[in-house]
Amino acid sequence: MSYLDLPQGTLDLLILRALLMGPQHGWAISERVQQVSGDVLRILQGSLYPALHRLERRGWIKAQWGVSDNNRRAKYYELTRGGRRQLEAETASWHKLTAAVAQVLEKG
Amino acid sequence: MGMLSDWRYRLRALLRRETVEAELSDELRFHFEKEVEKLERRGLTPEEARRQGRLAFGGQEQVAEDCREERGTSLVENMHQDVRYALRVLRKNPGFTAVAAVTLALGIGASTAAFSLVDAVLLQPLPYPHAGRALMVWLESPPGSYYGNIDMPWAAQDYLMYSGMQRAFAQLGAFRKKTFNLTGEGEPELQEGVEVSAGFFPALGGRPLLGRMVTAADDQPGHEPVAVLSEWLWRTRYAGDRGIVGRSIDVNGLPTTVIGVMPASFVFPDGAGMPAGLDVPRRTAMWVPMALPAGAHGSNDMGVVGELKPGATLAQLDDDLANFNRRFAEVYPQAKGFWTRAVPLAEQAVTETRRPLLLWMGAVLVVLLIACANVAGLTLNRAVGRRREFTLRGALGARRGRLVRQMAVENLLLALVGGGLGLAGAEASVEAVRRFGPATLPHLQEAGVHWPVALFALGVTLATGLLSGLGPALGTTRMNLVEALKEGGRRTIGSVTAPRLRNGLLIAQVALAMVLVAAAGLLLRTFHAMLHTNAGFDAAHVVTFELPLPVSPAYADTNRMAQVYGEVLERLRGIPGVQAAGFASVVPMGGETDSTIIRISGRPHARPGDEPGANYQFVSPGFFRAMGTPLEEGRDMADSDTLASRPVAIINRTMAEKDWPAQDPIGKQVGVGMVRIPLRTIIGVVADTKQTSLREAPAPEMYVPYTQNEIKTWPSMQTMQYSLRLHGNTAGIAAAVRQAVDGVDAGLPVSRLTELQTMVDASMSADRFALLLLSAFGLLALVLASVGMYGVISYTVLQRTAEIGVRMALGAPRRQILGMVLRQGGTLALAGIGIGLAGAWMTTRLMAGFLYGVRAGDPATLAIVAVLLLGVALAACWVPARRAMRVDPMIALRAE
Repeated sequence: MSYLDLPQGTLDLLILRALLMGPQHGWAISERVQQVSGDVLRILQGSLYPALHRLERRGWIKAQWGVSDNNRRAKYYELTRGGRRQLEAETASWHKLTAAVAQVLEKG
Repeated sequence: MGMLSDWRYRLRALLRRETVEAELSDELRFHFEKEVEKLERRGLTPEEARRQGRLAFGGQEQVAEDCREERGTSLVENMHQDVRYALRVLRKNPGFTAVAAVTLALGIGASTAAFSLVDAVLLQPLPYPHAGRALMVWLESPPGSYYGNIDMPWAAQDYLMYSGMQRAFAQLGAFRKKTFNLTGEGEPELQEGVEVSAGFFPALGGRPLLGRMVTAADDQPGHEPVAVLSEWLWRTRYAGDRGIVGRSIDVNGLPTTVIGVMPASFVFPDGAGMPAGLDVPRRTAMWVPMALPAGAHGSNDMGVVGELKPGATLAQLDDDLANFNRRFAEVYPQAKGFWTRAVPLAEQAVTETRRPLLLWMGAVLVVLLIACANVAGLTLNRAVGRRREFTLRGALGARRGRLVRQMAVENLLLALVGGGLGLAGAEASVEAVRRFGPATLPHLQEAGVHWPVALFALGVTLATGLLSGLGPALGTTRMNLVEALKEGGRRTIGSVTAPRLRNGLLIAQVALAMVLVAAAGLLLRTFHAMLHTNAGFDAAHVVTFELPLPVSPAYADTNRMAQVYGEVLERLRGIPGVQAAGFASVVPMGGETDSTIIRISGRPHARPGDEPGANYQFVSPGFFRAMGTPLEEGRDMADSDTLASRPVAIINRTMAEKDWPAQDPIGKQVGVGMVRIPLRTIIGVVADTKQTSLREAPAPEMYVPYTQNEIKTWPSMQTMQYSLRLHGNTAGIAAAVRQAVDGVDAGLPVSRLTELQTMVDASMSADRFALLLLSAFGLLALVLASVGMYGVISYTVLQRTAEIGVRMALGAPRRQILGMVLRQGGTLALAGIGIGLAGAWMTTRLMAGFLYGVRAGDPATLAIVAVLLLGVALAACWVPARRAMRVDPMIALRAE
């Protein structure tokens, strides 16, 4: 199985997008990204948790301790209003970037 | 909102560290367990699932560290950790800690002490509120005139003209020296002070401690006499009586009302930095109104100080002065080329003292650099020994930055300990300097470890900590983890940079020490030359004192003055134990004499500006015998030389050789510049004497009998300095002198009675102080450099133990091992000495002004210092070299 390296700056975007569906704990976020990308993208734990802490510090997500499926304590992350705005902005600029890059690659 | 949550987050992370850490570890464990569950679901055995989970997870500590980093509090947290760790490390190596801390304490202490002096003398504003806007104005004589281009005091008429037309100064004041004979209560006492005009105090912005200062109303001719006292005179003579204002005291025989007392900080003028032409009090005791009448006329004896108007610029002042210069040239067409110059008061006060202070500061910085290099070397040695520890920490995930920071923190802690010790040392040394330092240094008494000084010490401490820690830290942490692990704990010559850095540091230390010791050596030679110079007099068993006559109608006439001086001399000669006695206007080491343009009979008039000159003063018969000054030709003065007989003079050797080269000056005619004054016949030639300092070059001197004063107004006979040669014991002489003077007039003050040797010593105090200071620093540098040398060589011996073992096993004789180590140390020392020689040759030029009898870059001194340094360096290598020689090859090889 081969994974793609995540381009810089996209990790935050992916985490924020994964949280759009509702609060999730860290493991579920990485699983979700892996599944949705059809196993192409994989977030390594070594970068996931520092990123979560960074996003929390910036106020884009907030954390709460909850109980997971089999009754274990887990830390759930949830988008804040600021996080939603950030997600929209970054999604828009991501589309613009990929469209532009695609255009250059095709016609350039 | 982003900012707010950010800070809230960081604050929680910092304050509730334990909770946050526990949460993080829970969170990571949860993730790991979910991962393992997933793997188990795929059919792996629990053990295999855990193994793969750990692999996928990476280092748990590493992830946690990264998370901490993201929390934005890692800097504070790590610092906390680093400090705790560093304290543990330092405690575990008490030897290293003590040596390094004491080394830094010496460097920081010395530089802090020197800075506090520089701060008090050079950097602190003068203790006069308007000092920032106050300037002194001087007349300038043209270059090439007899006086040369120098700052000259003002004459009353010129000052009145200038103060009438100037517009740039809000306040302008003049002052001139005056001596005050204080009689009435207690012993008669002679003090010096100044007459001032009404603008003097306002120009400086002085505020009285008690009463008031001189006003325009006091400064009127015919106003009743008033005086403002200095704090110290008020304290010593009047017992600090707070009711002194309004009281009447006797000054020069006149009842004078005290109108005020100035605070202790107000000491202007105190002579600091004033040009030689202006006579100022050694210590100002009081200020009285000058009360210049409208058409006053006089000689150039006044200093002028003014405070610029608010908003007035120096350019406006220059315009003002240019106007005055034009006017001056119109009024005195003969005074061609004179102009005026304004000097900010702050510059005026320090010019002469700036140089020695900067010399000390330079010396101190060198010591500080050596201390830094030394501690850096020690740190480096230890760091190379700690490679294993660093490798281990690196393998566990510590980044290089973290290791560098760790070492920097250790050295910062060391520096803080050193800084604390140094500050205490600085306090003590400033106290010592205040007590023993030269009295000529202005504002010395205000020196102390104040706030700015403490801040400076803190800055130096941090800088030395970083300087001595960062270099070694960067040098030793540059390593390849895998290579280092493979090497394991074996002692090898670590990275390539470490020995190069270490040797560089050592060479720098030796070079810096060389410069300092060379400078101290030159000062030592100077001092030696001064002590062995021929002063032209013999100070042993000579007592001198000054006898000033009161300004009163009783002593108005110069013949009457001469008569009193003669009667006192007669009585002094009658004191048992007095071998010879005499007096002069100024005895050697007693101050500066007057000087004059001279004319020599039979020679054409010299062009203005080229006239020959000579110092000129009165002496009594027997004065040269009392001083032990050899009379080389002719005869001494005699009581028979009077106004009725032929005018005579004695000249010194320098004048004889300058004005009558290869001729016999006896019988030749010479006189002052004024044509109507008759010429004098030279009756004798005396040896050159040093007048103001042992290091001065001899100047032409002309001595005239005090009984032949036909000019009457010049030179002043207001005071004479007596010199008594005793048969040995000087005890009881003060009372005998007092009794002799009382026999003539009990109202006469006996001033400054002291042994001549004391005055000679006092004239050398600045030189002695500079020598002491620089020698102390030189010694310090030498000790530090040899400690550094010892450290480096013993470390390399330790590192090369195995190699030495192999050499010995292969048959190298022990002497050869000794030679090898000594050669290594010697090579480093020679490199340092070479660089130091070049440095000393260049930098000692800067101290040419301090030297006497020896030239900057003197080859003999440099050679001796170089040999001394090499000797000290080899001695420092000797112990480790002996240790190398005694290495047992069997043990050395087995240890590998």
